[in-house]
Amino acid sequence: MTAEFLEIKQITKVFQPAKEVKVLALQSVNLSISRGDFAVISGPSGSGKTTLLNIIGGLDRATSGTVTLDGQLLSAMSEAELCLTRREHIGFVFQAYNLIPVLSAKENIEYVMRLQGSSNQQCAERTQQLAQKLSIDTLLNKLPNQLSGGQQQRVAVARAVAATPKLLLADEPTANLDSKSAADLLDMLQRLNEDEGVTIIFSSHDPVVIAKAKHSIVLKDGEVVADEYLG
Amino acid sequence: MFSMTAKIAWASLVRRRVRSLMVVIMIAISLWGLLFIEGIYDGMTEQMIDTAIRVDCGHISIFAQGYRLDPDLYKQIADSAVIDEVLQHDQRVRSYTKRLQQTGLVSTAHAARGASIYGVNLQDEERQCSLSGYLYPRANSDRIQREYDFGVKLCGALIGYKLADKLQVKIGSKLIFSAQNLQGELQSMVLKVSGVLKSNNMLFDDKVIFVSAATARKFLGLEGQVSHVAILLNDETQTLAVQQELSREFPQLEILRWDQLYPALLQSRQMMKVSNMVISTLIFCAVSLGIIGVMLVSVLERLREFGIMQAVGTTFGQIRNIVVVESLLLGGSGFILGAVIGGLTLVYFRAYGLDLSVFSTAFEQFGMDAVTYAVIRPSFFINAAIAVLMSTLVSVLLPLRVLKSSQPVEIISKL
Repeated sequence: MTAEFLEIKQITKVFQPAKEVKVLALQSVNLSISRGDFAVISGPSGSGKTTLLNIIGGLDRATSGTVTLDGQLLSAMSEAELCLTRREHIGFVFQAYNLIPVLSAKENIEYVMRLQGSSNQQCAERTQQLAQKLSIDTLLNKLPNQLSGGQQQRVAVARAVAATPKLLLADEPTANLDSKSAADLLDMLQRLNEDEGVTIIFSSHDPVVIAKAKHSIVLKDGEVVADEYLG
Repeated sequence: MFSMTAKIAWASLVRRRVRSLMVVIMIAISLWGLLFIEGIYDGMTEQMIDTAIRVDCGHISIFAQGYRLDPDLYKQIADSAVIDEVLQHDQRVRSYTKRLQQTGLVSTAHAARGASIYGVNLQDEERQCSLSGYLYPRANSDRIQREYDFGVKLCGALIGYKLADKLQVKIGSKLIFSAQNLQGELQSMVLKVSGVLKSNNMLFDDKVIFVSAATARKFLGLEGQVSHVAILLNDETQTLAVQQELSREFPQLEILRWDQLYPALLQSRQMMKVSNMVISTLIFCAVSLGIIGVMLVSVLERLREFGIMQAVGTTFGQIRNIVVVESLLLGGSGFILGAVIGGLTLVYFRAYGLDLSVFSTAFEQFGMDAVTYAVIRPSFFINAAIAVLMSTLVSVLLPLRVLKSSQPVEIISKL
């Protein structure tokens, strides 16, 4: 594994929901994630897991500190540059699936590839490959509202990895799934990590899920209280 | 990516089909109303101008120099045969008529009025303005007018219906017309009403008496002279060119276009254009507000969807394209529906006319016919398309501004 694939230095995030109110979501967070890592960020609710993932993924900006992804300083990028970085290098799996409701499963999976300008053939081949891997090949023509939670989450995972991102971020991906679906999803993420070499960072507070990770980062009240490689 | 943009835009409209249908129908009804108003208003104006041109002055009028300011019998076009020669060989000339005019007094046992006689060749007038088409059916006579002429003795007269009303005459009634002849002597002649005309040209209906050219010539003591030559062209756009050529050919005569003779008519046409533009603008401001409201709600309720799309790497420009395509699809559908309905309505009213007889008294004051035939011009549809296009594009500005000011993570996390 190559060191310093993702470098987070002194990240602080302060929210100001009202004029006199400030909320310190993250405080001087320092992290290093290696290429090909399978890391989990855990901690109680309100510890800053989602905030940290959003900052890593360029969806939000830190109040101070830097984020460097594969040598690129995300914290110095414009909104347009961040958008392109998300498209080209980062995949997202959201807790609430967040599929585009008017597109079919197939079109959702192909969406980022289309943004990148992939051809019809490339999109079709990649979609079929992932669909078979994630056991959703019979569901490709269905709309999201015709799929179960687990099926939607698998489509979301397929969409996130279809364009072969360097980094996959998953925010509590199993939170809305039953135990079997959650286990299946984690197995899929592990296979993606091992077979495709995708660096995966996900957040969770489920001990069963946390145990699957190779690298554990624990947050509490916005600070890193533990950062260790497991087994 | 364009097909994905179009697909997302189309799917969004279909998903909210009631709302989409309401906007499309709103645009279509506005467009139908606009086309109808434009077609009818233009029709009214063009009918008024057309009547004046055909019955009175033609596209081009020829007078002797100074005649218009001082219509003296000594100021006549001396040699009309030369004019005949030129006009008969000009392909651009559809028809022309030569008239002898004199103002005098017409009287009956009941009343006397100032009036003008027009000495004409009935066949030429029929070719020029289809004079028989203006025969007024209600002429206080049981006899329905189907044919008319000046009679064997050429003492027949066609008079305007307003003049007939004032003189209390009907077909068969006798009139006495008195005026000065070329020698300055006061002459009178007896005429018999052989037809009543309603042209909706106020001048003609109230003042003019058509008599045969031979009768007028004999009465006034003139020989080959004429007072006025009215020329009708095949193509109105050739008016200026023909006027200039005739002016070079006959520098001793005064040759005028219809808009020079009656500038108020031209102004009527221009005023109608301005009026149509104002109405169009008002209608489409209202339509724009409706579309803005729908698009704003459509964007606001899909902020989360747009936030997700931005999160996975869709640029603001691509999302903007989706919203714009959606708006254009709504506008385009509404335009097509409105254009079809509006076009069919205009075709119907162009063929059968809009009967506004209820307002006939008011129309007569303005020289308009109570039955208005619509006109159809490509410019109606072109202007409407531009208005719809601008409305739909303007309608997305506010929603896009809202979207641009929102951060994806705020949208996804808060909604």
